[in-house]
Amino acid sequence: MALDFFDPLLRTNDLVQDLKWDEALRARFENSEEEVLAEYPLTEEERTAIGQRDFKRLYELGLHPYLLSQLARLIYGTGEKAGTSGAATALIQSLLGDEYEKYMASRGA
Amino acid sequence: MAEISVALAASHTPGLTGWLDKAPEDDQRTVLQAYAAIHDAVVESETDVLLIIGNDHVANARVSEYADFTFGLAERHEGPDEWFKPWLRVEDYVLPGAPDVAEILHRAAEATPTRVRAVRENLRFDDNLSVPVTLADLASTGVAVVPVLQNCTVPPVPDQQACYSFGQTLGDAIRTQLPADLRVGLLGSGGLSHEPGGPRYLEIDEKFDRWFLDLLVEGDHQRVLTEATFERMEEAGSGGTAELLSWLVVMGAIGERPCTNLGYAAVDQWRCGVGAVQWQLDPARAGQ
Repeated sequence: MALDFFDPLLRTNDLVQDLKWDEALRARFENSEEEVLAEYPLTEEERTAIGQRDFKRLYELGLHPYLLSQLARLIYGTGEKAGTSGAATALIQSLLGDEYEKYMASRGA
Repeated sequence: MAEISVALAASHTPGLTGWLDKAPEDDQRTVLQAYAAIHDAVVESETDVLLIIGNDHVANARVSEYADFTFGLAERHEGPDEWFKPWLRVEDYVLPGAPDVAEILHRAAEATPTRVRAVRENLRFDDNLSVPVTLADLASTGVAVVPVLQNCTVPPVPDQQACYSFGQTLGDAIRTQLPADLRVGLLGSGGLSHEPGGPRYLEIDEKFDRWFLDLLVEGDHQRVLTEATFERMEEAGSGGTAELLSWLVVMGAIGERPCTNLGYAAVDQWRCGVGAVQWQLDPARAGQ
């Protein structure tokens, strides 16, 4: 179940919400991500996982799945990319790891 | 006293406004027709106040302090929230609110075991309101709206029984505490099967969706409560399918009534099963 790992105390949950709610912070995140992450009260594990786009790790650390998908959109963009599965693809690739190719093959053609 | 004038439920996935044209034309038509039927139902029923009950996508509160039901008491509701605009691609909207009605219903809801709160400021609306507002062109109907944002995904989530009971409380409050000539409608917003942010993000469980809609049309609420459980919804797509709990709230408020399927489409690019229903209400017996 996707909620098994969820931890409401994981600060990345709050970071994603602040990024959604604060346009200025969002702009800073786009331009100087490392700076924003350094200032935010995150664990090193969280900072590393975000920096490496390791969505699977963030999921295991307890990031809420909605916020996980929103983080992917924050990083990979929305707007003109809406409806393409850029952000969703990156997310699934991370979550499924080695299983990704097999999974996509079983769905495709 | 007041009467429940219309009862509806529909999916709100952002693809419906953000990328409708990625779907086959038949499916686009199915969706637009269902939402046109919703618009007509709101107008023909002469509904004064429409409760839109839909899940909050953690847009309005920290996950560590998360209410189960949030009543929107604002005088006007503006949306969509800034961050969602490029994604949803809907026109900005402003809808009249109904603070007095919202306050009475909020107070009644405080008697339920769920965690409820009321917010006077404008809430942040994403697809939960923006999609039905846009596709059913609610602004042109002149109806006042009370948003009731629901927790469907931050544990502990009120299950199908708790949501149905919550609906019963709302229904009773509408019928006994609101002015006699007021016509109050209910629209459940959310579902059907999807798993946002999870490993099955790209999947739709069409079998579950059609089964669920058939169950609603069959009309045995006890059966729905026993079989369409929170766990069953999670199995069909975790974190997303449980938005159907808003439909359970509507069902609790109106009791067993004939239900019509307004249409269903399973389009991969929308990453969510899309369907809608309408319950037929007998104006002479708007209560249990």
